[in-house]
Amino acid sequence: MNVYLLQVVNGVGIGMLYFLLAVGLSIIFGLLRFVNFAHGAFYALGAYLCFQALQLGLNFWVALAAAPLLVGAFAWLTEKVMLRHVYALPHEFHILVTVGLAMVAQELIITSWGPLGVNVAPPESLQGVVMWGSFVYPKYRLFVIGFTALLAVGLWWLLEGTRLGSAVRAGSESTEMVSLLGINIFRLFSLMFALGAATAAIAGVLAAPIRGAEPFMGVEALGVAFVVVVVGGLGSFTGALVGGVLVGVVQSLMSTLWPEGAWLMIYVAMAAVLLLRPHGLLGRG
Amino acid sequence: MEMLKRYRFWLLALGVTLVLPLTMRSGTLATEVLVYAMAVMACNLLLGYTGLLSFGQGIFFGLGSYGLGIALTRLALPLPLALVLAIVLGAAAAALVGWFAIRQRGTYFVMLTLAFAQMFYFLAYTTPDLTGGDNGLLDIPRPPVSLFGTELGSLAGPWQFYGFVAVLFLLVFFLVLRVTESVFGRTLLAIRNNEERAQAVGYNVRYFKLMAFVLSGAITGLAGALHAMLMGIAPLTNIDYHTSEMILIMTVIGGTGNAFASVLGAAFYVLLSDWLSTLWPRWLMLLGFLLIAVSLFIPRGLWGLGEMLWRKMGREPAKPIGQEEQA
Repeated sequence: MNVYLLQVVNGVGIGMLYFLLAVGLSIIFGLLRFVNFAHGAFYALGAYLCFQALQLGLNFWVALAAAPLLVGAFAWLTEKVMLRHVYALPHEFHILVTVGLAMVAQELIITSWGPLGVNVAPPESLQGVVMWGSFVYPKYRLFVIGFTALLAVGLWWLLEGTRLGSAVRAGSESTEMVSLLGINIFRLFSLMFALGAATAAIAGVLAAPIRGAEPFMGVEALGVAFVVVVVGGLGSFTGALVGGVLVGVVQSLMSTLWPEGAWLMIYVAMAAVLLLRPHGLLGRG
Repeated sequence: MEMLKRYRFWLLALGVTLVLPLTMRSGTLATEVLVYAMAVMACNLLLGYTGLLSFGQGIFFGLGSYGLGIALTRLALPLPLALVLAIVLGAAAAALVGWFAIRQRGTYFVMLTLAFAQMFYFLAYTTPDLTGGDNGLLDIPRPPVSLFGTELGSLAGPWQFYGFVAVLFLLVFFLVLRVTESVFGRTLLAIRNNEERAQAVGYNVRYFKLMAFVLSGAITGLAGALHAMLMGIAPLTNIDYHTSEMILIMTVIGGTGNAFASVLGAAFYVLLSDWLSTLWPRWLMLLGFLLIAVSLFIPRGLWGLGEMLWRKMGREPAKPIGQEEQA
């Protein structure tokens, strides 16, 4: 079987996770020009909550449902208690406060679950492989591709087909105008902030059986999410999707061609896109 | 009195280099304060004077460490040349990263600097022949300082090396002070305060930002080189995200907009973390809370706090640099 085809499919799976990771970041940025440097911490929390749920004897599906709810609630609370007071300050302070938050989250993870990584087993029903003629592929990874595709469709519908979504899209065009039309932009923002954190947590839960959980995965994820939005275009849903899949496929293909350089190459790809299209593939100038 | 006022920052910096050996037992720790103070001043030049928040300072720091390490252990260059190499590497990387990142503004710029920091980290990680990969470059020597073949002094002892670093620190401090007081520095302040206006007046904003970035990279490269000499190794951690983060946090805690605030920030962070790390292995959590608190409640940092207290005591405030420029 063609190894490159396999790696492309792998890349799409990883890329969909990157999309989930980046889409929340991108939407939040679109609304309030607010970049959340603690976004990677939500992803790491998701992965660790999955580990914790399995430790408690709960199954994977409970974790997949509970982790985003818990992380979303935590993000919503953080936004209410802390971030709310930051919006009026210059953007440096948004970044510094969320960097502080990410440090606290990382250390909390180490105090709760130790400094070393942990492994998470995929659910029993998804262990093993699917065979399709000569095509052999792990069941769990197929599930990830299918499930994230469904989620992407759901998110797309939320943004394009509902009143809430129109408010969000209008808000990223002009916050003032939307406020004048009587929509509470801050309530909208806390909602989207919680939703973004929840999608990052889902990405974390789904990634846990593939790559395990470790305390520093948050920083790594933040870097990747930035690359995805820079490649795809900041503030764009389709941009996050295209960027995510592209980054996933580049990383996956490179891990066959030059394993040590797989991580390096996604950053090189980013630089290349920046040279050709400074605002990203689907970004507006 | 007029002289005293004019040279007050310079005198404060000189005072720090003299007070550290008198009050501290560990020469290594004292040297670390000055090394980071240089890196923090360079970061401040961007954040405080140009309004650029850079998450890429670890790139220049790490490249400085590697540059010096390779120059001394593999190429067997003399010490001054090794330091120059580190400075040039830092400046060149800053020119490259800056060229990409400065085309973008605001948060987009910050995200790019972080992405490039990750890129250089993985670059160092994937070239173990040059950088030693995970282990870093080991056994970096501290050759004696010599001029035209005559040996001027050894750097082997911790306090001997401290003296060497202190001289370089004072030179860098003087340079930063001169730069910020020059027309160039004033232009940077104008860009920080109102970029559109500076552009409208006819300044090539991108060029000035890039120059500030290159200068910052050069100084940070030197700091990284001295750090490698101090520790005897150039570890992979010197180029990773956490070094960038640490330099940035020191800058914010100290306060932006004045070179001495950076020295304060570096001293505070290095000494506090040295003390906290003996008490609790998870001390970084406290620093995270501190960063949040400083950002929310004393956005002008420790220096700003000191200034406020000074004013409350009813004395004439030292006029903060940059204040008079604000409309």
